[in-house]
Amino acid sequence: MNRQRINYAVVRHLILKDWYLNRGVILGSLPVGLGALALVLTGKQVTFLLCIILLCMVIVGVGAQLAMVTTVNERKEQTLAFVMSLPVSWREYTAAKILANLIIFLIPWLPLTAGALGVLLLPGATHGLIPFTAIMALEMLITTSLIVAAGIITESQAWTTAGIFLSSLGINVLGYVFAHLPGISAYMFGMQVRWTATAWTVLIAELLTVPLILGMTFYIQSRKTDFL
Amino acid sequence: MNDLCIRMDGVSKRYPHFFLDGISLELSEGSVLGFIGANGAGKSTTIRILMGLVRQDSGSVEVLGHPMPAEQTTAKLDIGFVSEDMRLYGAATLAWHMNFVASMYPRWDKAYAETLLRRFDLKAEQKIKGLSHGQRVKAALLLALARQPRLLILDEPTTGLDPVARREVLGELMSVLRDEGRTIFFSSHNTLEVEQISDRIAFIDRGRLIALDEKEDLLDRWRRVRLMVPTGSVLPQIPGVIEVAGTERLPVLTTSQFNPGVVSLCEDRGATVQGVDAMTLEEIFVANVQSRRELQPA
Repeated sequence: MNRQRINYAVVRHLILKDWYLNRGVILGSLPVGLGALALVLTGKQVTFLLCIILLCMVIVGVGAQLAMVTTVNERKEQTLAFVMSLPVSWREYTAAKILANLIIFLIPWLPLTAGALGVLLLPGATHGLIPFTAIMALEMLITTSLIVAAGIITESQAWTTAGIFLSSLGINVLGYVFAHLPGISAYMFGMQVRWTATAWTVLIAELLTVPLILGMTFYIQSRKTDFL
Repeated sequence: MNDLCIRMDGVSKRYPHFFLDGISLELSEGSVLGFIGANGAGKSTTIRILMGLVRQDSGSVEVLGHPMPAEQTTAKLDIGFVSEDMRLYGAATLAWHMNFVASMYPRWDKAYAETLLRRFDLKAEQKIKGLSHGQRVKAALLLALARQPRLLILDEPTTGLDPVARREVLGELMSVLRDEGRTIFFSSHNTLEVEQISDRIAFIDRGRLIALDEKEDLLDRWRRVRLMVPTGSVLPQIPGVIEVAGTERLPVLTTSQFNPGVVSLCEDRGATVQGVDAMTLEEIFVANVQSRRELQPA
């Protein structure tokens, strides 16, 4: 539809716009997530489990909220017409949406993931959980990518909500499956970190899935004929 | 200035329940085109195609010399667009919007933006969600005008405005018109507004362009001719009759091809011309649409 080159300055302006409009939610999620991590340090098993669930909810919730606001709401609240009236092509718009969601999501995801891994590295912690934690953290990145893709491609609240539901379900199902893979489950509750071939395979597959999902989003967008 | 600002040639777009059928129109630089159509006639689809936001199924579109949608980003650098269904970000202030738009337009005129702020009685630090509908439209117009566009595309911008706000918006558009280099594509179903600011008129109905003419020519050519036909005489055949109303003895003919010769033609045939009435743009539009619909039922 548009053969013109991507104007990266425009993409940057659009990313900064999404950051400006969503900075409250993102920055607000950080103390909640860090608070959950702090409670993990109390050492009680029930508290540990509850805090891990809260941490997952914060990370997944931020990704879902971000995708919903930056993609679906843009059409629903008719601000898309304003953005597309500017010198913006669909490629720049799609690139900006993907990057904005990814970069802004990484703001809480990186410190919270690092914090979770850091807690597991503390003396006396179950160090064997580190590979599984890394796998689940990447799983949440995939989940967010899927929700972003659903939001950008469909611009539909119903489809994006379905995406959120299925992705959240997917985290539980895949978490269960990964936790029961022999190469992971055998060392999960040990005091030593064991980066087995299985753990690496899952991690690499997850890492490749993220650009695959986002690349597919870009491709599907390129086949659209109507942007308003 | 005769450079073409807009050129659409045989542009079609099919949706499940609507078909934009072979739109061809040209608009030269400095012109103001009033684009009139009923709701659902195809005005917004045409405008979205012009903006490069919808790709036509067939036909070609050039805006400011750029093929659309291929070169939409370059074209949009010189276009100011305000649409009735366009909203700004409620959580952000007007000042933020001004900075955001200015960051993308090298020709953003800060001084003019400040002038418009005062003229529209807007406060830059106010959040958009706190503005009335009229203020939001004026804010959108400010953002479009201060980027110094060569082409202003307005899709029913005054819909839903109170009379005061509408007058302010139209007043600003009239002042913009003083810049003869500025071209305006003004879509509306309010014919009175269109008549006020346009020098060319296009009618669209059911996806088809049914008229495209200079406003003055259009207003001059359409007339209601009131006749008195003596008993036993036949109704004179005058050119371009769209509608015959009244009675057999006192018919009222609506013609789209009136000229002074029509009066003498009628009198030659024994009819008495009781009056020749000018028609408003709205009357012309309605008569035109109705006659087309009678010829081509949906």
